[in-house]
Amino acid sequence: MQTHAAFDPGLIARYDVNGPRYTSYPAAPQFHAGFDEAQLRAVAHASNEDPIPRPLSVYVHVPFCLSPCFYCGCTRIITRDRNKSPIYLQRLHREIELTAPLFDRDRSVQQLHFGGGTPNFLDRAQMAELLETLAQHFSFSRDAQREFGIELDPRFCDAEYVRALAPLGFNRVSVGIQDFDPDVQAAVNRIQSVAQTRAVLDAARESGFRSTSVDLIYGLPKQSLAGFARTLDEVIALAPDRVAAYAYAHLPQRFKAQRQIHAADLPDAATRLRLLGLTVEKLTEAGYRYIGMDHFARADDELARAQEAGTLQRNFQGYSTHGGCDLIGLGMSAISHIGTSYSQNAHDLPRYYAALDAGRLPVMRGLALSEDDVIRADAIAQLMCQGRLDIAAFEARHGLDFQLYFDAGLRHLRKLARDDLVEITPQALHVTARGRYLLRHIAMCFDAHLAREAAPAVRYSRVL
Amino acid sequence: MLPDGRLIAPHPIADDGDELHFCSTCAFGSVCLPAGLNKTALNDLHLLVEHVGPFHTGDHIFRSDERFAALFAVRAGMVKTRQVDDEGHEQVLGFHLPGEMIGLDAIHPAKYPCDAIALDTVYVCRFSFPALSTLAAKIPDVQQRLFDLLSADIGKSNRFSGDHTADERLAAFLLDLAGRYAARGFAANAFRLVMPRADIANYLRLAAETVSRVLRRFQDQGLIHVDGRELELVDKAALQKMARHILRD
Repeated sequence: MQTHAAFDPGLIARYDVNGPRYTSYPAAPQFHAGFDEAQLRAVAHASNEDPIPRPLSVYVHVPFCLSPCFYCGCTRIITRDRNKSPIYLQRLHREIELTAPLFDRDRSVQQLHFGGGTPNFLDRAQMAELLETLAQHFSFSRDAQREFGIELDPRFCDAEYVRALAPLGFNRVSVGIQDFDPDVQAAVNRIQSVAQTRAVLDAARESGFRSTSVDLIYGLPKQSLAGFARTLDEVIALAPDRVAAYAYAHLPQRFKAQRQIHAADLPDAATRLRLLGLTVEKLTEAGYRYIGMDHFARADDELARAQEAGTLQRNFQGYSTHGGCDLIGLGMSAISHIGTSYSQNAHDLPRYYAALDAGRLPVMRGLALSEDDVIRADAIAQLMCQGRLDIAAFEARHGLDFQLYFDAGLRHLRKLARDDLVEITPQALHVTARGRYLLRHIAMCFDAHLAREAAPAVRYSRVL
Repeated sequence: MLPDGRLIAPHPIADDGDELHFCSTCAFGSVCLPAGLNKTALNDLHLLVEHVGPFHTGDHIFRSDERFAALFAVRAGMVKTRQVDDEGHEQVLGFHLPGEMIGLDAIHPAKYPCDAIALDTVYVCRFSFPALSTLAAKIPDVQQRLFDLLSADIGKSNRFSGDHTADERLAAFLLDLAGRYAARGFAANAFRLVMPRADIANYLRLAAETVSRVLRRFQDQGLIHVDGRELELVDKAALQKMARHILRD
């Protein structure tokens, strides 16, 4: 990986537009209410019918947070009232009971991920009970390679809490940092020390967690190159196996908490790009590989190895080594990806509770992918995960003529090729070192829904 | 090629016939033509072969106990035949590919003994049985062809009722399908397992998880490659060795 390429202002202006992050294709705004419980049950049933059904990946959403981080675009509920969790858990247990029987018991859960919100809003007893219910209704894989991960907020958990998670089966931990710069922490309402963070990571390593990961965000208010450089040094000293550096998505119309952020404090597009460049530079120097988009991993990490082997996948948690799982999302607003469908649970507690109280699955919207969606999703995944698309193999896989099928998209892509973001040969598409900073733009060339949309600006964040 | 760059349907379809020509897989085309009967001549004799469909997944082509009036040949897609007993237990009798006949076991006692259900989008040819009988009486080759089909149909049933291991059953099942696709001019080593695994399991008298476990092992051993429903036979010789007790013929 080269160090960050120079981007001239004209180029930055051309590419500073809004677009999806492609954790799914089609992106979530394409989901519609026509995809209902009956459809979800049908796709779940069909997913059992392959000669070798896909293993399962389960995502559990804990929506509560004790304190509002102003940058947050996740679906969460701010509360200090710990009494909210038993009410939520009662419904979550009900959802597990209703959902698990849709999947044949010989389909083992190879991946489990707790996200939020703040999963450590739940106390140790609640966590143990939840894991027990999951293990009772699903068949947990006994494979040592299974990945059971949890996101932790170090401000609200101690070493003892972390140590109690290992016997429950968790072996990966992901810790939010965002930025250690005190000015930035004040501007986003998240005060968190290096020591707090280290305590959680150390406790995880001591108790046998296989992998640690931290999240950073660039593009936050008050962020500077000097301040972020210090944060990166501190992160490198913490020695996590993986680092995710997300681009801050400022969408105050959609996310109320973001209205606390003054637009004037936000770094401009050129600075954002330099922040990403700095991140790539520092982390690669420290021995991390730039996997793509927002993800870095140590060269010996499974993620880096999966990329080398060509088995890397993109999913709602970013990148994953476990391709070919059906993803079951449990909890308020959770997204499922079963077969060639996406579906999402109710976005608010009243509707999530009402559905389950009536004995219904709480799915509120979704999408059954068309054949065209499946083809385009594959092209986007190849480019975002492997940085390369082999044209002959793609044509054979989908029974199509690449040049003809992607005629319009390739015309856009040739413009990107002129800016040295991608290399187009008759045999393959290659993402260049420079293009890895602009993967979303490359993916957008293959997005048929974007072209049809009236105003993507309202729904998607800035690409740079 | 389609205008958008897609090639024609990836699944086998025997739809190369029309009002004047037999489909290449037609069970009767090869005997009618030498007898001087092309499709026009059959039409003139009011022996029109009707093209019926599409049927969609789960649609019945005929139902158990319905009055027998016609034989069907699959033109495209896959058809499952099955019986359901008084307690509601299903027994899958077979899977029928393009070019294969269904309904042969209904001639006596003039009602269908099973359900025929489309497993995907299915097109069939309908042969009116009274008309076919008349034709058979006139043309000895048609009669002989009908006897051949009936005989082959009897031999096929209950192949898996014997005492065989799961490995033997699955190897035989895959090779049998491959052979039938090959016999009709389709790719023989790579095909789509259209039928749900529950149906495969039922047909082979195995548990669904056993079907998957054995296929996964076959894949680990490099005998087959499975991608979703797409299946490729990689080491046919090894499968043949395994299946030799079932596929004796």
